[in-house]
Order: sequence, then structure tokens, then C-alpha cells
Amino acid sequence: MNIRCARPEDLMNMQHCNLLCLPENYQMKYYFYHGLSWPQLSYVAEDEDGKIVGYVLAKMEEDPEDQVPHGHITSLAVKRSHRRLGLAQKLMDQASRAMVECFDAQYVSLHVRKSNRAALHLYTNTLKFSISEIEPKYYADGEDAYAMRRVLKDFKDKSTKDTSSVKAIKDTPGKKDKSKKDGDTSKEKTDTTNKETRES
Amino acid sequence: MRDLEGYRETRYQLLVLRPGQRASWIGYAMSYHLMKDFDMALSILEEFRKTQMPKAGDYEHSELLMYQNMVVREAGMLEEALHHLDRYESQIVDKLSLQEIRAELLMKLGRSEKVGDIYKDLITRNPENWAYYKGLEDAIKPGTEEETLKLYTDVEEQYPRASAPRRIPLSFTTGDNFKGLMDTYFRRAFHKGVPPLFVTVKKLYSDPWKQRTVEDLVLGYAENLKTHEKFALSDEGELESPTTLLWVYFFLACHYDFLGDTIKSVEYIDLALKHTPLLIELYVLKAKIFKHAGDIEEAVRLMDEAQSLDTADRYINSKCAKYMLRGNLIAESAEMCSKFTREGVSAVDNLNEMQCMWFQIESAAAYQRMGKWGDALKKCHEIDRHFTEIIEDQMYYNTKFAKAAKIVEIYLHLHDHPLSDSDLDSALDAENLSPSELRKLKNKQRKAKKRAQAEAQQKAEQDKKETHNKKAQDGELDGPKEEELVPDKLSRPDDPLEQSLKFLKPLQMHAAHRIHTHIVAYEIYSRKGKILLMLQSLKRGCQVERNNPQLHVCLLRFLLLIKQKTDLPEPVSKLLQREMEKFYNHKDPLTLNTEYLEQNNNSILHRLAGARMMYELSPTPEKQEEALKIATSLSPKLQGIILNNCIEVLEAMCRGDFGKCETTAQKYQADCHKLFPYSPSFIIPASNQPDQVNGNAS
Repeated sequence: MNIRCARPEDLMNMQHCNLLCLPENYQMKYYFYHGLSWPQLSYVAEDEDGKIVGYVLAKMEEDPEDQVPHGHITSLAVKRSHRRLGLAQKLMDQASRAMVECFDAQYVSLHVRKSNRAALHLYTNTLKFSISEIEPKYYADGEDAYAMRRVLKDFKDKSTKDTSSVKAIKDTPGKKDKSKKDGDTSKEKTDTTNKETRES
Repeated sequence: MRDLEGYRETRYQLLVLRPGQRASWIGYAMSYHLMKDFDMALSILEEFRKTQMPKAGDYEHSELLMYQNMVVREAGMLEEALHHLDRYESQIVDKLSLQEIRAELLMKLGRSEKVGDIYKDLITRNPENWAYYKGLEDAIKPGTEEETLKLYTDVEEQYPRASAPRRIPLSFTTGDNFKGLMDTYFRRAFHKGVPPLFVTVKKLYSDPWKQRTVEDLVLGYAENLKTHEKFALSDEGELESPTTLLWVYFFLACHYDFLGDTIKSVEYIDLALKHTPLLIELYVLKAKIFKHAGDIEEAVRLMDEAQSLDTADRYINSKCAKYMLRGNLIAESAEMCSKFTREGVSAVDNLNEMQCMWFQIESAAAYQRMGKWGDALKKCHEIDRHFTEIIEDQMYYNTKFAKAAKIVEIYLHLHDHPLSDSDLDSALDAENLSPSELRKLKNKQRKAKKRAQAEAQQKAEQDKKETHNKKAQDGELDGPKEEELVPDKLSRPDDPLEQSLKFLKPLQMHAAHRIHTHIVAYEIYSRKGKILLMLQSLKRGCQVERNNPQLHVCLLRFLLLIKQKTDLPEPVSKLLQREMEKFYNHKDPLTLNTEYLEQNNNSILHRLAGARMMYELSPTPEKQEEALKIATSLSPKLQGIILNNCIEVLEAMCRGDFGKCETTAQKYQADCHKLFPYSPSFIIPASNQPDQVNGNAS
């Protein structure tokens, strides 16, 4: 499976994949919004016919409460028919690195259903996320969410090492005055559900 | 079409009004860019850039530079573009795009010596991007298979977890090299247990030798694992766990299913199920095998079983719902979907709100098969509305965020392809629309005469009144609301052809590479009696696939039609003559058909088309016998003896394309039953002969 940064023409197929795999769905405009605002952050996995079999839809938190720039995973899915290829991890790694490079993200956050043990396992064990808090009744059906985080220091070291010739000197990651973007988006619930096949 | 001049004017006014804003400058530059006045666009961008004092890691500034670079490239100034990248490298944060573009530029400029290193760098960053390996090969131009392979083994050593460097060489290696690599690839995957293993290798099957090699290898594993718990008898070390054999069986079931060998495929999936009775993947695969074999009922049952084993997984739920729709179980399917749609709303409405097009496409097809034209059309219109809405959203965002490089890229992309033609949904959507329109149209033509016209009229008036009332109510509320889609009304349009034309236009624009588009276009225009447009459709069809069986039928019918027309205006008949020469070479239909049959003698669909026309050209008992012989041959030497093609042959007979031929049809059915024992289409007595099955437009 090929893994590459998502292009505008992928967005519709990402929506298709999302509707097949996950209970949290979004209209096309929300995908456009991601694609236009943070085009470097979303990735797709495609098969040899160019069909999307997995994707990560990612963004930067727009007004971080803690004033620390950080990324957020809006949605991550891999078709059940393409599990156990390690796609989720590869997608997440690419997205995370782009967050660090392009937006100086310090960490990446996501939400996961409390009941989704398979996804929780993936995030905790494979991707080194840890639970930061519990958000009660986060989902439309009343289920609680774990808010999880992964610090992106490793990616930062990596990216400065790989591009040592072009070291960007950082001053304080001060707050940029970002005008609030028009948003039917802030209310959208995000979700990340990826279930690895249970071991047989 | 867009008014670019007007756009430039507006952008200019905005710049004058708000010269302090980034968006004003970029918008103004973009207006020139769109008009392809690159010099002007660049000087505006450069003026603006000079005023900027970027901080370290300034994303927006970085995007400005990338946009500027894009315009330089589009202006054809490759050397300058490269220089521009070098110069501003430290200010560009999107390192990935930077390196990708740099590699591309260097290649175009013929300086490939540095490109290899850039791609190696990119591979370090993402060893799963196949394009980087292609770039690396193009840059380094390894001479031999061994040298090429070395590029991949180097990466593999560095990134043992990466799959691309192990998979890609399987595509270009040959002989023992291939065999060895394939063996290693398989052992690792079977040992680990990778359900999608088959989908990662099936492209290799385009080479028959590789296909056989794969089969031999895996059959060998199955035998040795069964008897000795080893991949090969000579293996030493630890024995394989029992699940290894399970995944080997699973692979073989996929393999034989892909080759259309239902019996073997069922054999292996049953072995797997016996081995591990409660593994969901096995039920999913078995359902798929039965679907391919034509037994949708059993497929639904199996998928439902899979679904019941993990009700929290929407993917399985969706698959099950989809299979139900294939079996025309529309209400059951919606019920299945409702487990994952919002509570308090009907599943169908919620899926529509979420633009869930697969469900709507499949529903439309199901209604179509059931002859519920109104309901099918309703689904099609809903899909059409999604596209309209999505295009509007694109516009909205385009005006909203005119800010940076990638956005302009998107903008240009949308300008060129408002609906992506590579988009599966749009293609499927479109494909389903037109035939359905046509079916309805034919249906109408056939039945309208029989049906009491008064009744229809009454109904129409009633509908009109209803919508009048509705409109009045809507008007009182607020703004224009979308007209409600009423199936009954949709199935009795005043102008079915105009309606179908509406759907044809986007097809012609975005699916011109599909032969089906032009055949449908031909059918619509032939009903409208538009000779020149029919000609145009044929011409386009010939460009896509000259030999297509359906197109052959259209071509001959067109020739026959024109021969009858003696009253065409001079310029039209002259044009026709000139164009038709190219298709027909002055030959008569009979000769053309004979030649077609000779040239396409080994393909059953081509034979069917030729045979149909043979009988249509001279419907005599002798020709009927000859035509049927050609159409119904199942000689193993022929190509295309697959389930759907055989169903098509049977349908043609049932439809009367060969006149009355019940005995032959029954014999054909019996012969096919032997070939496709799982398909209900060939089970005799045929109480449910597939007269409702999707027929062709021609």
C-alpha cells in the first residue's frame, strides 16, 4: 500500500472510507476545510488501483487553550480488509512529522471512545499516546471519550537532524493572532477509531 | 465559464481598498495567474514578498513562497524556479513539498546526478511512498535487474519494517530472483498472519508465469504445513504455529476466487473455517465468494453471520448492508445501517444528510432492478444534489481562504476538474444514472400506450396540485426550499429525454474515457432523432474502444438508419458521408458484421453482439440457428466465459434478440449450470428467469 500526502481529489474518497468504517461522519465541506487550511497534514493509504484503504484527517488546534501549538487528529480509519499492514501507524507518523515541521506542533491530541479497546490499545501501545483526561458524554450517543496526547519531541529531533543544513531558529512559540475562522466546524465531534483485527 | 477579467477587476478594487492585507495581494496576483499572465502575477507577488519580514517558522509566508514558486514553474522558468527554492529554503517550512519539487525540477533540467540523493532522503522520510522509488530509479537508471534490486535491498536493510522495498521488486524481478523474493515475502506474511496478503500481490497476476509460480509456492506451503508444520520439508528450526496454515488456506481461497474457480475457492475457505470456526474474516471472504458466484442470497446470509460476530464494527455492518441491497433487500439494509446512524432520525435520511453515496448508489440500482423507477430516480437525484452541494462548498471555500500555495493548487484543480473524474463514486453514480433513465424511458414507451392515459393524466394533475400546495407552504416559511423528491412524480416525467440529458452532460465531461458514456449518449440521441449527435457519440465511442460489442451494435444500426433516410438536407448528408466513410469504409452492414465476427471470433461478448446483428439483419430460421450457435458456444478456447457474460447471453435470448428460441435457451442454461453451479441464474426450472436483471441499453 502506497502512503502519501492527501490531495484535493482524495478528499471525497476519504469521506467514502470514513462512512464505511466509522460512526462519526462529516459532510464534504469539513474535509475541504481540512484540505484547504492544513494541506500538509492529512495522509492516505492507497492500493495499487489507487483506491483509498485508509486515511488520517488531521488539523492544528485553532485556539489552543494552553497556548501551545499542537495538532489534532480529526479522524483515522483503515478498512478492516486492510488491517495488520501497520497502515495506521505509518499514516500517523507522517501526519505527526508534518505537524512539527510546518506548524511547530509540540504534541498531537485525539479523542477515542472509552469502549473502543482495540483503538485504545493501538494509541497507547503502538503510538505512545497517553490519556490526558476524560470528556464525559463527548459523543452524540452519550458515550465518554478519552482525550489522548502524544508529545512530538522525537519528530522534532528527527526533522532538525534530517534538515540540519537549514536549521530554523525558533524564538518563543508566541501566539499568532489568528482570526477566528468561520466555523460550523467547532461543533463537529471528532473521532478516531481504528481497530486492529483481534488476534485469532 | 468564469469571468476572469471581472475577477481581476474585483481583486484590484479589493487591493485598493485593503492594501494592508495579505489576501488582497495574493488574490490580485492570482487573477493574473488564472489568466496566464505569469509576468504580472509574479511581479505582484514579488512586490508583496519584499514587504514581508518573516519570523522563523512562518507558515503563511512559507506558503506564499511556495505559491510564488508554482507560478514561476508554470511560466516555464525552471532554472529560476530551482534558484528560487535554493534561495528561500530556510524560510520554507514545507520541507516535503520543497524536496519533491526540487527533485522534479532537477530531472526536467536534465541534472539527474543530484536527484538520486533527494529521493533517498524522501524515502528516509517516508519509505512507503512508491513514487519516491520510481523517482529514484528514473534518476539512477540502473542497468540490470540486479542493480535495480540493490536499490531496494539497501532501503530494506535500513528500514526492515517498510513494506514497499519488499513488495515493489516483486513487480520487476523475473525467474529465480522473483521466486526467491516471493518465497521470503510470503513466509514472513503467513507467519505473521496478514489477512490482506492477497490484495498486496494480486497485481502480479497480470503475468501468467508469476501467477502460476505463486500458486505453486502456496500450494506447497499448504501441503508441508499440513503434514509437517513447515513451509518446506528442508526447513530447520521452530515449527510453524497452526494459524500459519489458516492464513495459507485463506490466501488460496482468495486466489481461486480471483481466478473464478468457485469450487476450489469454497473448498479452501471451508478448510479455513473448519480450522478456526469463528474468525470474521473467513465469513466475509466466503460471502464474497458466493457473491461472485452469483448466489447473492447465500452471500447475504454469510455476511449477516460475520456482522453478528462483531456488531461494533461499522465496516462489516456496511458490507452487510451493501450485500442486502445487492439482493434487493432494501428495508433490511436500512435497518442494518441504522445501528450506526443517529438515533431519532431514519437511517435513510441520516445517510442522505451525511452524503453517504455508496448507500444511495446501491439503493438506486436495487430499485432499478425491481422496476421501481420512481424510487430509483429519487436516489439518483439525491446523489445529484450532493454533487451540486459539494461544488457549491468548493466555491465557498475558494472565496473564503484565498491565501496560499496549496489552495491555489486546489483552486486550479477544481477549475480543471470540477468533479474529479478519477473519483469512483462520481463514475459509479453517473453510470447508474443514465441506464436507469433509459430503462425508465423504455419502460414508459412500452407501457404508456397500454396504460390508460386518462389515469396517468389524472395522476399527473394530482401531483401537480400537491406540489403546488407544497410550494405555497414553503413560500410562506422562508427562502426557496429544495423541491421534495416524490418517487411517483419522478417516474412520470413530462420530458424523460431532457431529464436524461441533464445527467448525460456531466458524464460526457468527466467520464469521456468510458465507452459506456458514449453508448448511453447514442441511445438518448437516437430516441431524440438527433442524427449528428448520434454520429458524434459514435465517433467518441470509437476513440475509446473501437471494438466494443455494444458499440458495434450501435454502429450497424446507425448505418441502417442512415440508409433509410433519403430526405436529409444536403450539408448534413455530405457531412455524414464524409464521416461515415471513416467508420464503414463503404462496406455494407452484412460485410461489416461478418468481418467483425471473424476478427473477434474468440470472445463471447463480441460473438454475442455479432450474432445479434446477424439475426437482426436477416431474421430467417437459418440465420437464427447460425447466430444462436455463435452466441451460445461455451468452448473452453473462448475468452470471457465468466458468470456475468453468460448471464448476458441468456438474457439476450430471453429478451427475444434471436426471436423465439426457448429450447436453445434452456439447453444453454443447463450448460451454464454445470459451469456455474452456485448461480441461481442457471437453475432449471427457471421460475425466476432473469428478465428483471439489468439489461443493456441497446
